[in-house]
Formats: sequence, structure tokens, C-alpha cells
Amino acid sequence: MLRPDSPRLLLLLPTVTYRTVAFIEAARRLGVAVTVASERPSTFERANPAGLVTFDFADPAHAAEQARAFARTHLVHGVVAVDDDTAVVAAAIAEELGLRGNPVAAARAARDKHRQRQLLAAAGVAVPRFELLPTAADPERAARGASYPCVLKPSCLSASRGVIRADTPAEFVAAFERIKRILEQAAPASRSLLVEEFVPGREVAVEGLVSKGALQVFAIFDKPDPLDGPFFEETIYVTPSRLARTAQQEIAACAQAAVTALGLREGPIHAEVRHNHRGAWLIELAARPIGGRCSGALRFDTRETGKGKGETLSLEEIIIRHALDMPIPTLEREAQASGVMMIPVPGPGVLRDVRGVNAAGAVPLIESVEITAHPGQTLVPWPEGSRYLGFIFARGETSEAVEAALRAAHASLEFLLEAAD
Amino acid sequence: MSVTDVRITAEPIDNGRCKFLVSEPLHVGGVRRFATPDEARGSPLAEAIFAIPGADVSEVIVSANLVTVVKRSPAPWPVVGKAVGQAIRAALAGGQPPVASKPAATSTPGSATADDALYERVADLFDSQVNPMVARHGGRVELIDVQDAVVMVRMAGGCQGCGMADVTLRQGIEAMLQQYVPEVKGIVDITDHAAGSNPYFAAAKK
Repeated sequence: MLRPDSPRLLLLLPTVTYRTVAFIEAARRLGVAVTVASERPSTFERANPAGLVTFDFADPAHAAEQARAFARTHLVHGVVAVDDDTAVVAAAIAEELGLRGNPVAAARAARDKHRQRQLLAAAGVAVPRFELLPTAADPERAARGASYPCVLKPSCLSASRGVIRADTPAEFVAAFERIKRILEQAAPASRSLLVEEFVPGREVAVEGLVSKGALQVFAIFDKPDPLDGPFFEETIYVTPSRLARTAQQEIAACAQAAVTALGLREGPIHAEVRHNHRGAWLIELAARPIGGRCSGALRFDTRETGKGKGETLSLEEIIIRHALDMPIPTLEREAQASGVMMIPVPGPGVLRDVRGVNAAGAVPLIESVEITAHPGQTLVPWPEGSRYLGFIFARGETSEAVEAALRAAHASLEFLLEAAD
Repeated sequence: MSVTDVRITAEPIDNGRCKFLVSEPLHVGGVRRFATPDEARGSPLAEAIFAIPGADVSEVIVSANLVTVVKRSPAPWPVVGKAVGQAIRAALAGGQPPVASKPAATSTPGSATADDALYERVADLFDSQVNPMVARHGGRVELIDVQDAVVMVRMAGGCQGCGMADVTLRQGIEAMLQQYVPEVKGIVDITDHAAGSNPYFAAAKK
């Protein structure tokens, strides 16, 4: 039961997010009053006007006006975004209501891959050489002027959707046309794509929380499957990283430099960084937490710090506490290694069944196997797709053991597909 | 079928709660909810789950082939979950039903009689308001039972597997229950969301 003085959190939940349960349940555990804002109305909105609202996520300024109107009758103490689109909306609302958050310009820069690279390059952060290309451009002419290998990507999509490597002019032209088709479906208003140098090296993901502009890194996740293209569908994340300590320090410093260059001040970040003999390269940074259900791989345990009596926090609890300026008992990740596998799409088709889930779950160190695709769902592989089949989680003594467990569990799964109509 | 052939899938909701989907039915007489080891007496499955060392289990709910376990311990689900799996297999292999039938109603305050009265009021609310609302998204919410003033529901249609099902549950149904039937102490979703074949909102990674 909520107390009358419970702080109210405005939670921006797009209807397609995986993050609903994690954030709603975290807020409940914290005793926080929640107002869920989505871009489409809940059928219960009239029944619970304090708890459910519809905001215009496509127009952050309009959403901020809507939040202002809502706040006239319900005092809002904090706002949390869960993905790239809502990160800009949350910044606009935070500015409008005077809440903890990022400047709108910074959130917008993080959302726009071209603007982000411009700011990072200007600040001296190592980024791949890049060029913005209008979708109306002549791809053959652009291909003649490109350096190879290069990577073509939409400037506005997420989850490696539409990201394609090209090693030759012919591959460049094919990738260009393919991304145009993806944009026509996924982001019809987008009129450009980014062409950038392919940076060889080991890729990691950095998770952290920014407070007053200072980045606290929670975890550096190794991505042990090589991300060399032609497409960049992610699979395994394992932490702690097995990179050398100096490499990890360079990666953390690179992420902090990017946060500063973009002007981010408050809230979670998720960054993709590559590391090679020339140091750390910022590939992308988003002003949001890790996507999908991958946050389940992060757990924060006060037993390790001696500040509490065995309290375990989720990433979502930390993000909510930060947004509401509540005390955060720990920012230290648990001691053991942890990993998640985003189950790759095996091919195009309609999912009929997933077999071997029990066997996968029985693999030592496997914590859970969550199949999120539903029977009858049409599966679309990358680069057109952006929905995984599900997630496998593991924990153990070492990152090597966790990675091996994830691979063994995945090998136990069998996916029955039918050809799509 | 041997108990070694029984398939059990764990679906942690958070560090405190986890659903276990079992390929064999455990209880065919509706839903049983156990909030204490005393209540679990006579139901081998619930007794065994409450007895898991270090788990500090606070609640066990069994419905058909679904077991929901709530624990207070910070122990991770990989450890506790394996013990729950063993308890499920042992209960299925035992000579008596894993879960005893619901006891007959008594007149004690807060007992099954009070739950029956609550059930009627909640059912009325579901018929008159909740289900017409979720029907607009092709959904349906079935009132399974009320035990110790805790409402158990199963979602179907567009709600089953929907990315916003938890919003519907907490911000919609639970909020209405607090308003119209304030005696209700909580709500538990016993839906197998993974089996939902037509969710109204499907999630995508971002």
C-alpha cells in the first residue's frame, strides 16, 4: 500500500518495450507511486487517470506540455525513460518540470548518430571517420568515393537494425539500397544514413549511471562473438570483461569523455566501444539503460560493500532511485560473473515451436531461459529485424564459464519455423 | 511418463518472484495459495518448497501446471530454482496429490467464507468493468480464485504475452480493485505469458 507522501514517478513506457515488468515491479518494491505514460492509450486510462496517461512521444515538446498539464493535478517527482525515443521525451519533461534529467540538446545529440559523432569528434573523442549521406544521393558515386571497409547505418534506428558492412563498391551500393528500404518501413521521415570507417577490434558494452555529469561505470560487457559484419546482430554479453585493466580504463575514460562531449548530466547510459592497439573508440552512446531484457544480467549487492544486510538491487531500482533522488545503497555490481545471450533469429519464417528449453535451463550456471517470441510470430533476421527470440541468463565464478554455459544452453535449443507467406 | 521427462521452465519476474511452468499438471482443482508453512501442511509440493533451506519462501501458488514462488531471501533463482524443480519432481513422483484440495469453507473472519464474498464482488467488477475494457484490445481476464483476500487472475487473448500486460495488471486492474474492493490485499497473475500467440503489443529490443 502506498503512503500518501510516496514520491510519484513518471515512467515513459513505449508499448513495444521489453522493460515493462522490470520497471513496474522495481517501482512497487520501492513503494513509489507510478504514472505510466505510453504513446498509445491504455484501455484503463479513464479508470485510473493518475496512473495512466498518453503522451505524444513523437513530439517531445508536446509531450512536455502534456506532462505539465498532468503535473497540475498530480505532483511529479521524477521521470524515467526506458529507450532511445523516450530519452529525448524524458529530457524535455525534466526541463519543463524542473526534474533531474539531461538537457534536451544532449539527449537529442545522443539520439542522432550523426550529431553525436560531430560533437564527439569536435571534443577529441576517438570515433570512426564518418559522413552523412542523403538517401536521395547517387549510391554508385558515393561508393566510388568511400574508403573500405566501411559501415553503412541509419542515423536514427537502434539495436543494430539496418547496420551493414561493405568491403567493395558493389557491396556499398547494395547496402545503401537495402537501408533505404528499411528506412521506408521503420522511419519514413528519415532522409539520411551514415557511412563510417569500420574500426577493427574487440567490442564491449559499457553500462553506467551519470550523476552531475560524472559517469559511474557499473559494468563493461565483453561481446565474445566477433562483430565484423556484414550484419551486426548482437548475441552474448559477459561481465566482468576479460580485457586488460589498462584497456578497461581506456574504455571507461572514453565513455566519460563522450558523456561530457554530449553534455549528458543525469541518468543511465549504454555505450558501444571498440578497443584495438590504438586505444578505445566510441562507436555509439545512448542516454538509456541496456536494452531488451539484458538488465537481468546486472545485479547490485550490498553484501559486497558492507552497507546493508544482503539487499539486492536491480538496475531499474537504481535508475528509479536516482531519478527520484532517493538514497542508493550501492553502485557496486555483484562479485560473480554474469552474462546474457540474446537468442539470435535462426532465419526468416514463422515460429511454430521452441524445443529444448528444459535442457537449456538444466545446463549448469544457467539461471533462466526466457523465450519472448510467441508462437505464430514472423521472425525477421538482421539487418531488417530487431526482435530477438528470447534471452538466456547465466552466472558463475568466471566469465569463461558463463560464456561456455550460454553457448551450451543455446546449443540445446531447437527452433521450428515455417516459411512465411 | 517418468519424472525425469517432466519439463520445468523457470520465468523469474524479479529477484523475489518466479514462475515455474511444468509440463505435467500439479493441481486440477483450481488454484491453491499457501502463505505459511502451516497452510502448506498436507500438500507435499508446497511443504517441500517452504522447506527449501535459505530461500525464506513466503508464498507458493499452484494452478494447473504453474507454480509461483515468492521468496524473501536474496539468494539467486539459479540456486533456489533448482531446489524448486527438485521439489516439483519429487511431488509428482510421490504417492499422493502434490497439492491437497481446498479446505471446506468455515465461518472464521478472513477465512474462505470471506474470500467467497470477496470473490463475488471481484467477479462483478470483472464482468461489469475490467473485461469490457480489456476486450477493446482483444483481451480477457479470468478471475481464478480469491484466497486470503489475494485475487488470482489469468490473462488471455490480446493480454496473454502482451508487452504491457503488467501495466494492465498493476495500473489498471489492481488500481480498480483498490478503489472498488479495498479489502483485497493483492493480485497475482498466474498467466503463462510465454504461450500467448496473439499479444496486443509485442516487444522489440531497443
